[in-house]
Amino acid sequence: MTVRLEDVTVRFGQTVALEGLDLTVAAGETVALLGPSGSGKSTALKAIAGFVRPSRGRIWLAGADVTDVPPARRGIGVVVQQYALFPHLRVADNVAFGLRAARKPKAEVARRVAEVLEMVGMAKYARRYPRELSGGQQQRVAIARALAIQPPVLLLDEPLAALDAQLRADMLGELQKLRREVPDVAIVYVTHDQSEALALADRIAVMRDARLVDIAPAADLYSAPPSAFTASFLGGANLLPVEVVEGGVRLAGQTLAGLRPQAATLPGDAGGASYQGAGRSGAGGRSEALLLCIRPHAIKLSDRVGEADAVGERGEGGGATAGDSWPGVLVGAQWRGASSRLTCVIDGLPAVSVQVDVPTGECLPEVGAKVSIELPVEACTLVAAEGR
Amino acid sequence: MLLWTKPGKIVTWIAFALVFGVLVLAPFIVVAAAAFAGSWNGVFPSSPTTSHLAEALSGDELASLTVSLQTAFLGGLLAVVLGTWAALAARNAPKPLARFADALHHLPIAVPSVVVGLSLLVAFSRQPVLLNGTKWIVVIAHLVLMVAFSYGTVAAALQRTNDAYAEVAASLGASPARVLWQIRLPMLRPAIVSAASLSIALSMGEVGATIMVYPASWRTLPVSVFALTDRGQTFTAAAESLVLLAVTVVLVVTLDRLRGRSVER
Ligand SMILES: Nc1ncnc2c1ncn2[C@@H]1O[C@H](COP(=O)(O)OP(=O)(O)OP(=O)(O)O)[C@@H](O)[C@H]1O
Ligand SMILES: [Mg+2]
Repeated sequence: MTVRLEDVTVRFGQTVALEGLDLTVAAGETVALLGPSGSGKSTALKAIAGFVRPSRGRIWLAGADVTDVPPARRGIGVVVQQYALFPHLRVADNVAFGLRAARKPKAEVARRVAEVLEMVGMAKYARRYPRELSGGQQQRVAIARALAIQPPVLLLDEPLAALDAQLRADMLGELQKLRREVPDVAIVYVTHDQSEALALADRIAVMRDARLVDIAPAADLYSAPPSAFTASFLGGANLLPVEVVEGGVRLAGQTLAGLRPQAATLPGDAGGASYQGAGRSGAGGRSEALLLCIRPHAIKLSDRVGEADAVGERGEGGGATAGDSWPGVLVGAQWRGASSRLTCVIDGLPAVSVQVDVPTGECLPEVGAKVSIELPVEACTLVAAEGR
Repeated sequence: MLLWTKPGKIVTWIAFALVFGVLVLAPFIVVAAAAFAGSWNGVFPSSPTTSHLAEALSGDELASLTVSLQTAFLGGLLAVVLGTWAALAARNAPKPLARFADALHHLPIAVPSVVVGLSLLVAFSRQPVLLNGTKWIVVIAHLVLMVAFSYGTVAAALQRTNDAYAEVAASLGASPARVLWQIRLPMLRPAIVSAASLSIALSMGEVGATIMVYPASWRTLPVSVFALTDRGQTFTAAAESLVLLAVTVVLVVTLDRLRGRSVER
């Protein structure tokens, strides 16, 4: 069943919680709503579920306009941020609640409850009360309760936010498995955690200040972010100010050849245009403020003294000769287990720090050392700077 | 500072014992003693007897007890139903209306009960609603006073519950009635039972408004105590007080049991 939102706007008094959201989720598709706190993700979910009525716009389920249909008659499964298991009912009765509301025969209720509890691995706990369960177990019951009514649409509001890091990783795996068990269900998954969105979603919708900024398949959004906000929010990209020149872009007085703005990488086509005041002025325009966007792990770093065994394979050394290397200084290093996060500044660009991830095992320059920072052109994209 | 030294502690405890003992505990003991006293001329009562208690449990005085119980249950029950209903309604009402309801329900707490009694007497002693002289005016007086407490207790509990429960229940296909009976009310049960026991306890002891409105046929126990004392029958009044105390304690404890495990979050 397809969910379609058309220009959905939600106001709470003076606050605009959601502004002109257009979104379509196909049957069997998972769309993640990703955005910082207060960006309107939960509000979008509540509008789909019918808990809040949009002040403008329409919501469609399988081609039928449900904007004025109460939640009880939408048949959508919802897992809210704090689970909201009914505290006075046992696990089995929580799960059975929707089935009993639909006046299903006793035998069928029992069979279906056993089935979904089995699916989420909670069959042993059917007789417990919610307060006798851990956070992760409560979360599973909340999902089982939503799935029991066999909803064609499942809405999940930060289902992992209340769990610790280890449990979160485990549950992420379980959710992926669950996704395969309900292949036809349209899922909207709200999160502010980019790794959850990347792991689960077919498409990611990035939200900010009540608006949808970008929406695209997860891989596209990651490799070629359409906006500066998405680039930094999804994967923490480096954003370096550049100017367009003949044959490439100019960064800190040096030209990176072969990179040019494309219409597709400019904002405006995903509804987020209002944030990029400078962005719209046209594909290939020369004067607009552009940012070069590159992921921390794509940057190669080498000692500027120029030994061949340095981190990068570019043995030449001496930053000046390399077409896409910039001289800089390493100002900080953080070991993160599997990799190290290095912070550099490019000479002539002291205000912008460049984050570089280097896998553990490669030898690292000393903090304070002069380094050569290589930006492989195939890993770079251009985004418009925000007009602020 | 005083509390940290040993003499300081002793002084504090003595002060506490004096205040609590003399002002709270001693009157109870004295009433109990008076209830069983044949005469009390010296410092201590003498010639113990159970005749006062027997008197308190027979005839007119026993009738007073049943009147009190009926009034408390009728008024208390109605107060809980109306108070819960009002609290639920105010929760979903527009803000200004909810604030108005809040203020309205606090009125009987702020207004002296004698004034409440007098206004009911004046209002219901004439057409179109003539209740003066019936038991209903007493029940209504109690209802008016107790509904404020019921409303307050339930509204406070409602404020602490999250709308998410009702929303999720609705999304699972439950009708508004099912959400009310199977989710909202069970989750409010502890507050509702608290409200009921508070209402009944208060109603059992109410005098101020009752004395303004009661007809001769519907005299509550506290009013009897007042009347007996007025006529100088202090010992019988003491025995009745003891009965009143015992019955109220039993009622409140029983209701508290009913509350069972707390399911509030
Ligand atoms: N019932 C409400 N009344 C008034 N304002 C509200 C209400 N619900 C949400 N808002 C406001 O709407 C905006 C969006 O809220 P929303 O809950 O959708 O954010 P969110 O993206 O889910 O954030 P989080 O990640 O913290 O859950 C916020 O500014 C919030 O303060
Ligand atoms: Mg939220």
